[in-house]
Amino acid sequence: MNDFDALLKRSFAEAHEPADDGFSVNVGRGVARSEAALKVRNATYAVGMAAAGATILYGAYGLVGAFGQEILATAGLEVARAHSALSSAPTVNTQGMIQSLGAGLSQVMLVVAVLAGGAVVYRQTQD
Amino acid sequence: MAARGFLNLAQATEAALIIAALARDQAAFGELVKRRQGWARALLRRMCNSHAEADDLAQEAFIKAWDRLRDLETPAAFPGWFRRIAVTTFLMAKRKQKAIFEEIDDASPIASEESTPEAAAGAKIDLEKALAKLSDAERLCVTLNHGEGLSHSEIVEMTGLALGTVKSHVLRGTEKLRRLLEPAT
Repeated sequence: MNDFDALLKRSFAEAHEPADDGFSVNVGRGVARSEAALKVRNATYAVGMAAAGATILYGAYGLVGAFGQEILATAGLEVARAHSALSSAPTVNTQGMIQSLGAGLSQVMLVVAVLAGGAVVYRQTQD
Repeated sequence: MAARGFLNLAQATEAALIIAALARDQAAFGELVKRRQGWARALLRRMCNSHAEADDLAQEAFIKAWDRLRDLETPAAFPGWFRRIAVTTFLMAKRKQKAIFEEIDDASPIASEESTPEAAAGAKIDLEKALAKLSDAERLCVTLNHGEGLSHSEIVEMTGLALGTVKSHVLRGTEKLRRLLEPAT
């Protein structure tokens, strides 16, 4: 570093800093506005999420009304088949059990998807 | 309001203020702004040609800092973290104004300021006036290098400019300042 660089650094270090002539008050107002806007955004988001949740529930209710009995009957049948596969042979009837699980997989996946979707929505609302 | 019970704002350390601000204590953040506003505004005033524009950008930078406080890893990192926000705010404003930071015309003469009446008379020119004679990019790089003590690579990382561009801006800006600030011999 030469003499001029040292002089320059010293000039920067010794340079005048402006006095707080209402600047921090203005920043405080800006921060308060930002917080208020954030609250409005969060409220809008919560209302949107509630509306979306209500819509999904309404749709699910319609589906259950239309296909509920069929789904329950299928699930019952699959449970019966799985039970039969497990209990009918002295050794485990692997093929029958796999068939049963395969047939019931759509219901299992549906439940898992609902749980995963719920978890994602919950995490988003927490963020 | 998490820390209000034990925190006397005027006597609190900066780290305590930052921790309270992280708990969304606006009063603690206000005290932090009071303490740091001089440095932040001086930094931006050196980078901008206009005090009013610099103060607007400083205000914007502080509000951004409030919004992003959760990104601050440790209270000790606050000065560097805030400097980055201030520089980014400055660069975004300049990009809106279509300022050019990358192009360097190496064929152009470094400066003709040595022929200004002040220099000719050997008059003392203050730093701020001398900085005003530099281009936006030179002012930015010289301020960060000489004023804030950042290395060329740190300036590259902060501004996104190429290393060669930063080196050239620092060199040319410093040379211009030398001609402006050193008394005529």
